[in-house]
Amino acid sequence: MLKILIPTFMLFPTIWLVPGKWLWTATTAHSLVVASASLSWFKWCSETGWVAPNLYLALDPLSFPLAVLACWLVPLMIIASQNHVAHEPLTRQRTYISLLVSLQVFLILAFSAMDILTFYVMFEATLIPTLIIITRWGSQTERLSAGTYFMFYTLLGSLPLLVALLYLLNDTGTLSMHTLQYIQMTNPDTLGTMLWWVACLLAFLVKMPLYGVHLWLPKAHVEAPVAGSMVLAAVLLKLGGYGMMRMMVVLGPLTKEMAYPFIILALWGIIMTGSICLRQTDLKSLIAYSSVSHMGLVASGILIQTPWGFTGAIILMVAHGLASSALFCLANTSYERTHSRTMLLTRGLQMILPLMAAWWFLANLANLALPPLPNLMGELMIIVSVFNWSSWTILLTGLGTLITASYSLHLFLTTQRGPTPQHFISMDPSHTREHLLMALHLIPLLLLVLKPELMWGWCF
Amino acid sequence: MANYREAPLASRPKTLDPAEYFNLSLDKRRSVEEKATLRAQLKRQYQMQLNNPLRKELIEDPALTRWVYARTNPFNNFRPTKKTSLLGGLFGVLPLFVLYFVLKTDRDKKEKEIQAGTYKRKFNLSS
Repeated sequence: MLKILIPTFMLFPTIWLVPGKWLWTATTAHSLVVASASLSWFKWCSETGWVAPNLYLALDPLSFPLAVLACWLVPLMIIASQNHVAHEPLTRQRTYISLLVSLQVFLILAFSAMDILTFYVMFEATLIPTLIIITRWGSQTERLSAGTYFMFYTLLGSLPLLVALLYLLNDTGTLSMHTLQYIQMTNPDTLGTMLWWVACLLAFLVKMPLYGVHLWLPKAHVEAPVAGSMVLAAVLLKLGGYGMMRMMVVLGPLTKEMAYPFIILALWGIIMTGSICLRQTDLKSLIAYSSVSHMGLVASGILIQTPWGFTGAIILMVAHGLASSALFCLANTSYERTHSRTMLLTRGLQMILPLMAAWWFLANLANLALPPLPNLMGELMIIVSVFNWSSWTILLTGLGTLITASYSLHLFLTTQRGPTPQHFISMDPSHTREHLLMALHLIPLLLLVLKPELMWGWCF
Repeated sequence: MANYREAPLASRPKTLDPAEYFNLSLDKRRSVEEKATLRAQLKRQYQMQLNNPLRKELIEDPALTRWVYARTNPFNNFRPTKKTSLLGGLFGVLPLFVLYFVLKTDRDKKEKEIQAGTYKRKFNLSS
């Protein structure tokens, strides 16, 4: 663990001491070295069950795919932000990259935390760099309200979680995940325990986001700069799913009765947010709502607590992280050229930028869960396990898959095919940096088709 | 007395036609001339931006900005009427209760069968 953490901490001196013209090269190279070193976490020792354990941090097959994703995303974020931050003064550029790296530090510590309170502190700590990135480097005036929504929705959910965790600590004497697997819930029928159950999960449901409390997500995604959108979509939402999976251990038999409203909200949310996607005029908003839709499927997979549900959830989380981040990068390439996110104004780009159209095609196919990509595998596992839970849900999940396919195709056809607007005067050709960015997103996704055991979790 | 000729892209308002001009009151004449001035200034601004050889970005269209803002913030103009309440209840509230009822009944039926021992389990190695 230290061989990844110390180089990550050393990124801060790299950022602040490197001369100006080497800043982006040096930080990209350094973070790529850290990302490739993090691949060592894939070597899972099945005897102990934990990878890279020390006294306070360890990874297990649930958390190391997400931690590797967090490490992999930082060089991609730095590559993606290079264009729009390049015109700012040097100190501000260094600050921006420091915020991205601090997010990586908090995320690695969150995913490898062995104590639930450590996880909680890191979960909250990731809010601060994200808030600064959204409100300082976003491009519209609405970014302030987006930051407010983001902060307060998440805090509203996580303050009850703090109370619930402290109560659990008082009750059991420990919050370490090693020992928490063995506790029993003492009195599951009282109102107090039910409130405690809701308090434990509410923060993660808001973060996922669940359909009823999802309002912060489109705002935050639309107003954030590209690196903010990437990290939000790819990793921060997965913090919610990961937290839910860890908390399920202590939530005992009460989940069988109390999870119904949340499963129903998640399943109905797939259809509602998918339908909203078909009506969106803003490109990033469409991708944001599709994130809500996929995460609804993940939430329902986790809440039914079956092995296939958990496995499907974690596969879909990793695959969705890569695919959604790729779509946000593509939306950013379009935005940098036309300075507009309105889909009506950025149409017919295949005529102008044909190679980028190929990446758009692949990313949209990933989003609509084309076989053999892991998006489909995760979705199928969740759909099958939810069908086993109750046969009626196939209506909702099947309709949801249909709507997902239709809005992904709508996204592709609107931005790429059709008449090119007449008002484009000068468009940069596709930079090599952008092609590299898309390749680095989609090649891991294609490689995961060949070895899905890496992200299966421990239920297989 | 101004002689407003027709321009290729700007039609002359009927009231400024010299044949009609003297039938108008002074106030009406002045207001129509002011409006024509404003229109001409807006057109000039657009033409300057359109033909500027150093321009690289989109000409800002306030109507488009308003439309995009209206589409992204529907709640500002929302008013609970009979139709919106009906739609909201039908698609937002009723499905949740219907789904709860359907799923709970289905699951309770399965639980009763399991308790009674009549639930037929198909063999699966993992689920």
